[in-house]
Amino acid sequence: MKRLTSLLLVSVMMLFAACSLNPGDTTSNQDAYYPITVTDQSGREVLIESEPQRIVSCYYIPSSLLIALDLDSRMVGIEDNADYRPIYSLSAPELLDLPNVGTVKVFDVEACMATEPDLVIMPLRLRDTASVLEDLGLNVILVNPESQDLLIEMIDVVSRATNKVDRGQELIDFITNTDDMLNSLLDGVDSHTVYLGGNNDFLLTSGNAMYQSGVITNAGGINVAEDIDDTYWAEVSYEQVLAWNPEYIIIAANSQYTVEDVLADENLAVVDAVNNGNVYQLPSNIEAWDSPVPGGILGSVWIANVLYPDLVTDEILENTIEDYYETFYGFSIEA
Amino acid sequence: MRPSTALASKHNSLLFVVFGALLCALFILSLFIGKYPLTIEGLISGSELQWRVFTTLRLSRVVVGLAGGFALGIAGFIFQTVFRNPLASPDIIGVSSGASAGAAAGILFFSSSIMVTLCAFGGALIAIVLAIAFSVIDRGGHKSTVVLAGIAVHAIAQTVLMCLKLVADPEKELASIEYWIMGSLNGINSHIIGSNLILCVVGLILLIMLHRQSILLSSSGDEAKMLGVDVTSMRLILLGLSTLVVSSIVSMTGLISFVGLLAPHCAKKLTGNNSVSTMILGGLIGSCILILADILARSVAATELPVSIFTSAIGAPFLVLLIFQGRKDT
Repeated sequence: MKRLTSLLLVSVMMLFAACSLNPGDTTSNQDAYYPITVTDQSGREVLIESEPQRIVSCYYIPSSLLIALDLDSRMVGIEDNADYRPIYSLSAPELLDLPNVGTVKVFDVEACMATEPDLVIMPLRLRDTASVLEDLGLNVILVNPESQDLLIEMIDVVSRATNKVDRGQELIDFITNTDDMLNSLLDGVDSHTVYLGGNNDFLLTSGNAMYQSGVITNAGGINVAEDIDDTYWAEVSYEQVLAWNPEYIIIAANSQYTVEDVLADENLAVVDAVNNGNVYQLPSNIEAWDSPVPGGILGSVWIANVLYPDLVTDEILENTIEDYYETFYGFSIEA
Repeated sequence: MRPSTALASKHNSLLFVVFGALLCALFILSLFIGKYPLTIEGLISGSELQWRVFTTLRLSRVVVGLAGGFALGIAGFIFQTVFRNPLASPDIIGVSSGASAGAAAGILFFSSSIMVTLCAFGGALIAIVLAIAFSVIDRGGHKSTVVLAGIAVHAIAQTVLMCLKLVADPEKELASIEYWIMGSLNGINSHIIGSNLILCVVGLILLIMLHRQSILLSSSGDEAKMLGVDVTSMRLILLGLSTLVVSSIVSMTGLISFVGLLAPHCAKKLTGNNSVSTMILGGLIGSCILILADILARSVAATELPVSIFTSAIGAPFLVLLIFQGRKDT
């Protein structure tokens, strides 16, 4: 255990060292760097003539990435309801005062144009709106962080478009190193079964094709709903949950019900997780780690700590979280 | 010209001047209200960006508001006249439900906005074809048959819609379906309006050309037959054209409630008759309501609100006022 903790500390120190060696993510080398053509996650080639100075994001995942890439000071527009995301007030409170450009559901093209951006980052679902913005003369990058691999690809695309390649690589390294750390800590472990309760309802869960299922498996758990192929939250019955009889129940970070509600639910009284008090809710006081935000890997570390506290100790969990937010978001976490 | 006819004509002219002027004012106001700071000075100075925003977004949106309100007003007039029922509207025949089910299928299976528009249009067309097919089964030619067929189509479309909602992702597609059903002019831009607007304008011209026949249908069927009108065919043609006009608009905007019911009703209360001028006045009132509702939808909150909230909020008190006015006059 001590060896593993030492390994982690060494890797954390290496990360800090990498940080100090790469202060050059500035605009000084932009003349040599631009113009650059990047291929976004829709496969479009986007020619960026000069370093973006006015960036708009209408989706909380790339917004969080822009903070991690130290680009929050260049943001001029943000998605609606930004004040629901604690990460902004913790790391970049000035973002809360930016004009909102709507949501993924209702994107406000005019509000976006009014911010006079030179780069707009939006999810793949808004590809039609992207073509309108392009006709209006804007550069648009479409992102699609629906799995950990696609999240890493998104970080790569955005960091290359904004001349933050080194910082982006640090972030990617953090994710892969943390993933490797979990794999090594949990090697040969006797896996526990987990049921993930969705945000809107306990009886909504994530099948194998969803990002959230990967959060559980990365944590050494077995998603009881792994046979469900739906690419979105699937509705299940109490009978199905009883048949699965999970050892642990994890509730999504922004769920509209509580651990107490689940423990008090008589329909679930015979489930092992409820009987043994193994019902937990992912924290939501920083970011929803069950969503594909850049720090989503922390959700796996957190669940691994719940499932295997002797292997993934509280100390490892706290160190990893502290390291991540201090390095990429510039604030400290109280233990 | 008899004095009473001359008085009525003068009254109608005054109504056209008032609503025409109101529509012009709302149209111009709407061109310069929005999140992007568009200015007359900027346009005159030839700013490329200002002109792009103006032509791609703002003008398209206001033109769709104008055409959409006019189309809903005219189509509502046709429905009310043909059914001889002041509460008739495109909803009755299942057009709105058909368009909703089509749009939901588009959101679920294609996600691109052009496909959503096409699917909504397809859903509305399937609804009208079904309604006409069901009504043809009854050879008695009762005017209530089409209404009953419409109710059946509405039920079928709602069943399809419920099935689609059931399989939709609550956090993604379901939210988009719900927002589409509430209606908004937010997504309108010059890329998507061309063919729909042409279809709408052609349908409106044909409906106005057929105004005499539609007014004859408002009298008893026998009277229309005596005057040489093939009642069944004409009823189907008018309903088909009205549906085309409505679906060409709602397939772009989502559902817009109350305008098709309210605008012609207001026009009839104001003119006191069923003439072609009442039909066109209904269109003008429809345009005024929709443009005003859209101005409010994009300016009262930090984000865009569904336009149907405001069409109902503006329309309902106006209708109540007219009902009271009518009661006082009798």
